[in-house]
Amino acid sequence: MIGYLHSFESLAAVDGEGLRYGVFMQGCPLRCVYCHNPDTWPFDGGMPFTAEALVDKIKRYKPYFGANGGVTFSGGEPLCQADFLCEVLPRLAFASIRYVIDTSGAVPLTASVKTVLRGAQEVLLDLKFPDDSGYLTYVGRDGAATRETLAFLQEANVPTVIRIVIVPGLNDTEEALARYLAVLAPYTVIRRIDLLPFHTMGFFKYESLGLVNRLADKEPPDAETMSRLRAYLDAARA
Amino acid sequence: MTHWRSFKDGNWTKAIDVRDFILHNYTPYLGDASFLSGTTPRTERVKARVDELLREETKRGGVLDVDTEHVSSILTYKPGYVIREDDIIVGLQTDEPLKRAVNPFAGYRNAAQACEAYGYTIGESIQNEFRYRTTHNTGVFRVYTDTMKKARHAGVLTGLPDAYARGRIIGDYRRIPLYGMTYLIEQRALDKKRISERDMSNETIQLLEDIERQLDFMKQLVTMAAEYGCDISRPANNAREAVQWLYFGYLGAIKEQNGAANSIGRISTFLDIYFERDLREGTLTEIEAQELIDDMVIKMRLVRHLRTPEYNNLFAGDPVWVTLSLGGMSENGKTLVTKTCYRFLQTLYNLGPSAEPNLTVLWSGRLPQAFKRFCAKVSIDTDSIQYENDDVMRLDFGDDYSIACCVSAMRTGKQMQFFGARCNLAKVLLMALNGGRDEIYGDQIAPEGDIFPEEVLDYDTVLTRFKAYASWMAKLYVNTMNVIHYMHDRYAYERLMMSFHDVEPERLMAFGISGFSVLADSLSAIKYAKVTPIKDERGLITDFKTEGDFPKYGNDDDRADEIARFIAQFFYDELCKTPAYRGAKHTLSLLTITSNVVYGEKTGATPDGRKKGEPFAPGANPMHGRDCEGALASLNSVAKIPYACCQDGISNTFTITPDALGDGEDSRIANLIQVLDGYFAQDAHHLNVNVLNRQKLIDAMNDPGLYPSLTIRVSGYAVNFNKLTKDKQREVIARTFHEKR
Repeated sequence: MIGYLHSFESLAAVDGEGLRYGVFMQGCPLRCVYCHNPDTWPFDGGMPFTAEALVDKIKRYKPYFGANGGVTFSGGEPLCQADFLCEVLPRLAFASIRYVIDTSGAVPLTASVKTVLRGAQEVLLDLKFPDDSGYLTYVGRDGAATRETLAFLQEANVPTVIRIVIVPGLNDTEEALARYLAVLAPYTVIRRIDLLPFHTMGFFKYESLGLVNRLADKEPPDAETMSRLRAYLDAARA
Repeated sequence: MTHWRSFKDGNWTKAIDVRDFILHNYTPYLGDASFLSGTTPRTERVKARVDELLREETKRGGVLDVDTEHVSSILTYKPGYVIREDDIIVGLQTDEPLKRAVNPFAGYRNAAQACEAYGYTIGESIQNEFRYRTTHNTGVFRVYTDTMKKARHAGVLTGLPDAYARGRIIGDYRRIPLYGMTYLIEQRALDKKRISERDMSNETIQLLEDIERQLDFMKQLVTMAAEYGCDISRPANNAREAVQWLYFGYLGAIKEQNGAANSIGRISTFLDIYFERDLREGTLTEIEAQELIDDMVIKMRLVRHLRTPEYNNLFAGDPVWVTLSLGGMSENGKTLVTKTCYRFLQTLYNLGPSAEPNLTVLWSGRLPQAFKRFCAKVSIDTDSIQYENDDVMRLDFGDDYSIACCVSAMRTGKQMQFFGARCNLAKVLLMALNGGRDEIYGDQIAPEGDIFPEEVLDYDTVLTRFKAYASWMAKLYVNTMNVIHYMHDRYAYERLMMSFHDVEPERLMAFGISGFSVLADSLSAIKYAKVTPIKDERGLITDFKTEGDFPKYGNDDDRADEIARFIAQFFYDELCKTPAYRGAKHTLSLLTITSNVVYGEKTGATPDGRKKGEPFAPGANPMHGRDCEGALASLNSVAKIPYACCQDGISNTFTITPDALGDGEDSRIANLIQVLDGYFAQDAHHLNVNVLNRQKLIDAMNDPGLYPSLTIRVSGYAVNFNKLTKDKQREVIARTFHEKR
């Protein structure tokens, strides 16, 4: 089976624990307005790789992984290629390389998806919005699949990190965060909630791809807002 | 003898054997940095005075003052002090701090031009003296062939030490505190007696004259120390004397020599033995120990030589490479890390970040974890240290080697180096395509051959031609170097430095390659894309049309990396075919310091798409902007170059933004350790580490007052960013910053 990959980042130190090799997979079903990798959206294109060739490439970075590092599958949406990943995972296991999945959770929970999630050292799950109205307005579909994925992670007891992108005017208030927290409250597998500031570094891609950038007039949240929101989060979770 | 009290005996008590002394007496330190001290009021006073002098130096265009009336030597100047009553380690190059000396032995014209560049005129007494004296430079040009001169003019053989002193020789200054000068002089006299028994061949006569010159300067060093009120004829009695005696040796050496890189060696674990003894005896506190190291490091930061603007163009930022090697492991598997390794690193906090001394951590996978953590923290905070792979170097150089300059290892006191600058191999490729003619000036330099037609280049044909020309160039290069070092030994011999070596040290002749990644990518382009040469009105190939993509060195892609590996191995093998002066062993480095900018200026467009005059990447670095799979892929490519064919070092400079390295200090420290462990586990050799944002450099370029002591690692050394020219600042900013994505 062939997987389609968008690109590699050999030093991805912030997508999961330790030093990580980042594999960005091609294709995503969502169209989030703040996406900074719109070039990973289309399912056609990408670099074809066999599982074996991909694992050979990943293995080259094993000397850097240490006790906590490993590979992070991101995208695009890595779970859209769960069947391919199911061929990759045993080969990683033979090489004693652990993996992290960076996902929106917006995929049907097929047997392959469940296998991939269950074996992960950690799952980075994007919770785009606390409710369907946010999802429908800014993502293009409802959040049901993501919530089901979260429920599965709870049931399978997979360490989970929730990631929330903070966009000024959309969700940069304590009230907005409170609604996220209400959704997340029942889940004990959540180790941490990361707030990521929306940034404009992907804007040029919209232009070069001829896509409409609905947030073209937005600025990144300022450092003060981010630290205020993080403080609120810490206090609420303590 | 009281000076050796409580030291354990070993071979070192019977013969000069500093390594043996260390292994018998040192105390490995496995703990963390919490024992370290800050500055004392005295250190703060001296530091304030030094800062004032440095500001004044900058204000006067980079040179505070020049003594134009005297020729620099060991006894030329009266004792000098920063603050006489506050200096605890004494000794300056001249009678005033930062006042530069004139040293014309390697080249008179160079010394005169250096004076003029800063508005001084060389004094009459010096003019008269050198009217009747042959300098190294004069000697070299008496013998240089026309071909050597042409290769030099075109910049194929470049940065040659033929008008300035060669440097890169490290005296084992530790011998002075351990044995005292009387014993060392006696031993050298015995060496002379023994060697006098041999037949008087050229080699024997040269060696005997060398020894007599050494003995002369050894005695002068004793006098110099006496002028500062110290009796170094006897061994050091305590830690302060050990530091002082050792520093006097280094100071005497740099009064005599103004070589490009005069490094101080591997001294921390040696000195630590004296610190431990004084601490044990209750005659020294930790604060006082740190104060001694701080004061010694202040002296190292004040080392200056008088250089021409052309020289500064090659080696930017007024560097002197007081390289100081720390850490490492012993051959019996114990760490050589001691508290004094920490104390030297601590000076970057106590005295602020600085380019000098060039602090070099000898990294091993088995270094104590706490030491790794402290090094990583210091790197992240100061960008002032470099790392070299002890696990690789120990196999070739044992466990008592030191680093000279940036990446040159040598067994301390047992090996010396003939510094050999570098050959611009990117230019050799263009020369091969142009039938031996230089693409800029049009001169016929190498033997005449066909100029390639304006048709798509065939890889095998190009490679065969390149090998023929590179092989011819290797021979010319070794022969040129032989001339240079014969003359340097004759007219500018390092009398004092060599007196702190074994009498017949092993000699290394260190060659270098510049344009390494440009050549690798150019050959890859010819092999994997379509490259068509374009000729100018002279009929010379001066440009290329490159169609299609090709694998580039720096992406962990074996297709390109194999070409890079081949270049290093091939050129090294070719160099070895021509015997080197004085039986030296050939070594090779991939190191350009900041000269990659100047070498690029002198090189036409290349098949990899680089335009005429554009800078090369430094050292073994992949070309900036072409490493597109991130930092570790770039490191993996460089790690494939075998140290066996590049024993003079493989320099790699790595710049990462704090955000890309991790969230928060703890994670950045842990990740940097992983980067270093992972890179060096693959037998890679060297890594300069910068953790900073591009924006910070842009801000510093636009407003130099913003970060006055901003120190960054460039190619094998650290430099104060504000001392770089705008051109070099721009080049540093254009380099790949590994950013978070």
